[in-house]
Amino acid sequence: MKKGLLPLLMIALFYSDSVFMLFFPENVFDGAYVPAPHFFIIGLLFMSVFYDRNTAIKYGFLFGFLFDLFYTELLGAYLFFLPLIVYITSKLTKWLQSTFVIFFIIILFDIALFEMIVYGLNLLVQRTEVSFEPFVSMRLYPTLALNALYYILFAIPLRNAFQKFKNKFG
Amino acid sequence: MPQFLTNKRLIILLGSIIILVALIGFSIRDRENITWPEKFVKDVTGFGQNIISKPVSAIEEFFDNVGRLRNTYEENEKLRTHLDKLAQLESDVTRLEKDNVELRKLLEKEDSLADYEPVQATVIARNPDRWYDLITIDQGESNGIEPDMAVMTASGLIGKVKNTSKFTSTVQLLSSNDAQNRVSALIQSDKSNYGLIEGYDDEKRMLKMTKIPSDAKVEKGQFVTTSGLGGVFPKGLVIGKVMELVPDEFGLTQTALVEPAASFYDLEHVMVSKRTMTKVLPEEDNRQQVLIEEEGL
Repeated sequence: MKKGLLPLLMIALFYSDSVFMLFFPENVFDGAYVPAPHFFIIGLLFMSVFYDRNTAIKYGFLFGFLFDLFYTELLGAYLFFLPLIVYITSKLTKWLQSTFVIFFIIILFDIALFEMIVYGLNLLVQRTEVSFEPFVSMRLYPTLALNALYYILFAIPLRNAFQKFKNKFG
Repeated sequence: MPQFLTNKRLIILLGSIIILVALIGFSIRDRENITWPEKFVKDVTGFGQNIISKPVSAIEEFFDNVGRLRNTYEENEKLRTHLDKLAQLESDVTRLEKDNVELRKLLEKEDSLADYEPVQATVIARNPDRWYDLITIDQGESNGIEPDMAVMTASGLIGKVKNTSKFTSTVQLLSSNDAQNRVSALIQSDKSNYGLIEGYDDEKRMLKMTKIPSDAKVEKGQFVTTSGLGGVFPKGLVIGKVMELVPDEFGLTQTALVEPAASFYDLEHVMVSKRTMTKVLPEEDNRQQVLIEEEGL
C-alpha cells in the first residue's frame, strides 16, 4: 500500500459531498427539507481519531480552504472551523471511550455544532434570512439524519481504512 | 511553561479570528471577478471535479433513460397531439421571424436586445453547504463566458454567472438570497408591466417580483420574462408565471410572487447566453426603452 492512498481517500471524500448533491433526488421532499451532506467532515473526524490528530488538522485546513474557495465562496468558514471541530473531537474522545455508539453521538454533536456555526456566520453576512426555528426543523434535523445514515453505512469501512493506514505508516 | 502554552494558544486564537474576519470581509465584497490565485485553485479543483462528476453523470443518465422507457407509450400519445399543432406554429414562427428581420431593416435597427448566442454547459458540482445556491459548470473564460451572463435550462432562466476561471464558472441561482441579485423583468400582457426579480421566498419556493406599479393590472397565470433592460440579460427569457399579487408596505408598488418555470434542482445541462448586443445602453433609440421603463415605475 502506498502513502498516496491517504490523500486520495480524502480527495474522494471531498468530492463525494458535491457529487451527492448533484444526484440527490431533491423532488422527493419538494424542497421542504434541506439535508446537507457532511461526508468529508465525518471522514476527517475518523481520521483524527483512528489515524493522527495533527495530520487531520492539517487536512482540515487544506480541504477547508478548497471547500471555501470552490463551493461556498465564503472564505474562512470551513478553513477555520474544520480544524476546530477536529480539535474538539480529539478532546472529547480522550475523556470518553471511543466505541462506535459513543463516537456516533460525538460526530452528530460535531455536525450540529458546525451547522450552527456556519448558520450564524451566514446570518451575519446576510446570506440567509431563515430564523432559528425553521433552521432547526428544515435543515438541522434532516442533515443529522442524512449523516447518521452515512455513519451507519460507512463507519466500519472508514475505521478499517484509517487503522490500516496507521499500521502501515503511522 | 503552561503559562507560555496558554499564551501561545491565545495568540493563535486571536490571530485566526482576525484572519477569519479579514477573509470573510474580502469574500463578501462586491467585486467583478475573482483574483487569479482563486481562479487557479478553482481550475485545479474543477479539473478533479470533472473527472469524478462526468462518469457518475453518465451512469445516472443511463438509469434515468431506463426509467423513462416505461412510460414511453403514454408520452408518445401526448407528443403526437402536440405535433399536429407544431407544424402550424413552426410556419408561423418562420414567417414572423422573417417579417421581424425585414421590419428591423426598414427601421435600420438590426440589433435586438433579444439576440444571444447560447453556450452549452454541464453542471459538475453544486454547493454541498446549501446555504447559498451556487453551481459550477464546465465552461469558462476559454469559451467566452463572462461574469453576469444569464444561465438557463430549456424551461427558463435559472441564474447568472457569478465568477469565471479559465475552465469553470460559478453560477448563482435565482433562489439564492442576495440583495445584489436583481433581474429586470416584465409581465407579458397587452401592456407590459416592468418590475424587478429580487429575492426568493424560501417557504413558498417562489421568486419575488417587486416594483410593479400599483395601477398595473396583473393577473394570475401571466408569464414573466426578462426585459433586457438591466443591460446584462437578453430580452425574452422565460422566468415563470405570476401566482400571487400583494401590495408592498407603502402601497406605492406591488409585489408579485412568481413560480419559476425552471426547476432549481436536478440541474444537469444548462445554457449560458452570450448577449450579442452591447451591455450598456448609451444609444439614443435604446434610451427610449429606458424611459418607458421609468414611466412604468
